Amino acid sequence: MRPPQFVSQAFRGLPPNARTVLLHARGRYAPWEAGFDFTPPAAGPDEIVAPPDFVGVGVQKAGTSWWYELISEHPDVFDRADIHKERHFFTRFCVEQFGPVDVHHYHQWFPRRPGTITGEWTPDYFAHPWVAPLLAEAAPEAKILVLVRDPIDRFRSGLTFRRKMGAPNTSATVADAVRQGFYARWLRRLYEFYPPGQVLVQQYEQCRSDPQQQLDVTYDFLGLDVFRPPDVRREVNVSGGEKIDLEPEAEARLIETYHDDVVDLAGLVPSLDLSLWPRFAHEGSRP
Amino acid sequence: MTTLVGQVFGSLPASVRRLVPVELQADLRDRYGQWEPGDIGFEPDAPTAARGERTGPPDFIVLGPAECGARWWMSLIADHPGVAPTHSVDGAAHVFDRYCTEGFGDGEIARFHAFFPRRPGRIVGHWSADGLSYPWIAPLLARAAPGAKIIVLVRDPVAVVMDRLAATAGTRRPSGGADLADAVDRGFFGAQLERLHDLFPAALVQVLQYEQCVSDAPGALARTYEFLGLGGSDRPVLPHPIGHVSGNPGDRLSAATRSRLQALYADDVARLTQLTADVDLARWPNFVPEH
Repeated sequence: MRPPQFVSQAFRGLPPNARTVLLHARGRYAPWEAGFDFTPPAAGPDEIVAPPDFVGVGVQKAGTSWWYELISEHPDVFDRADIHKERHFFTRFCVEQFGPVDVHHYHQWFPRRPGTITGEWTPDYFAHPWVAPLLAEAAPEAKILVLVRDPIDRFRSGLTFRRKMGAPNTSATVADAVRQGFYARWLRRLYEFYPPGQVLVQQYEQCRSDPQQQLDVTYDFLGLDVFRPPDVRREVNVSGGEKIDLEPEAEARLIETYHDDVVDLAGLVPSLDLSLWPRFAHEGSRP
Repeated sequence: MTTLVGQVFGSLPASVRRLVPVELQADLRDRYGQWEPGDIGFEPDAPTAARGERTGPPDFIVLGPAECGARWWMSLIADHPGVAPTHSVDGAAHVFDRYCTEGFGDGEIARFHAFFPRRPGRIVGHWSADGLSYPWIAPLLARAAPGAKIIVLVRDPVAVVMDRLAATAGTRRPSGGADLADAVDRGFFGAQLERLHDLFPAALVQVLQYEQCVSDAPGALARTYEFLGLGGSDRPVLPHPIGHVSGNPGDRLSAATRSRLQALYADDVARLTQLTADVDLARWPNFVPEH
């Protein structure tokens, strides 16, 4: 039974952490929260389960919800509305035992109708270095998708998002936002377990500028036919409101922090167009 | 700045504060300015220099989290009669946290120097708990204290992860992967030391292995005193207080999980041993090279 509208409005007016306390008291957890029940959903009568055909691993605030939605609209892709795009399945296994039963449970999270493909997109996987070997054990044949975005824009957007979601205003929260932007570092980690040919890295800015052309690249990589979803330029999961302040001197230092990693990334991903990241446009020519 | 409500909340006994869910504590801290070290709003007050004291950059900096014994080591050094009392062990340990997003200029450097009053003939130091692992801090230290001697404490990375997770459990709203990633990141000492060497000449950096310090604290402390130009001291050397996990924290892991963590850190540990001869892998059973 849905609560009365005034209750919903009052709930939305609460601070994020207060909302979380109330939701937890009712036993409701998001997949990224400790306390989420990872019991797999039951497959429908006409559904089969198998390892995911594709797994998006990164990065937060680089258009992954938008891109996942566009992939899911393809008639040969199966996506169940009651299962979140972000499974967050592997996060908890950093210091916990992981074995065949867990692999089996992971597969149960991917029901699909015969003849379709399915997958997930958990943006945190990329910068969690313990995930890649577990994912490779559970889904060795999966095609891996990564969207990257100017690391400074991603940092601001990611930190704003985390704060809005109720993350504490601590140096650890800031450090996590910085950490996620070392794309080359995390890509190299991924390549230890998946050959580069099994990984597609696309640039958010290119997707924004020509979404259909970039979507054709994604579809082709996933073995899907050409498809034209309506309204490819729609906005999904946009962080509204003001972003956190980043003072110019601090921004200059952050650019310096990412410099070597961006240069490395440009070598690893030839399709990366650094002219779309003006802060780093000349990084390739710097010593 | 801490508001009156924040002060009242902060003055409540810990047992009463614990009744408030950790999720709400974060909101209350933000709302009422009851910040703690590690919170971005936390602004410790610098001490007032007494007559005859001068302030300036610290002479030495201890880098590393408490899980590596850095807090303990800082307190042992500060106990030497040639070292001025430090104001840095708690409050100022996190003084650089906010400058990832805020500008850092001459005013901030002067403010930092104010934390280090000392009388002539004495040296003074700073402990930075996050200065190794959070990448924006070491460059700021290099600007604010370019001539400082650096003491780095490293420890078996697998033990660091487990001890860190035990230390932070229940103290904050669990942020799932972010807490785990933070703990894991602290163990990449090779990459961290490499970054440090870009900022400070190797001759100004002393690397200490936590396990050696625990096993022979007087011997390791004598090396630190010598590195800092201090004579010997007859003060008793207090042993490291018991950590959050007794024994070797890595022992709590299953063999398969430990093996995954060993594989995760193997390359970085090899890198670390190339950068310094002061790490004895025989003391890190997780990383003893095979012969």
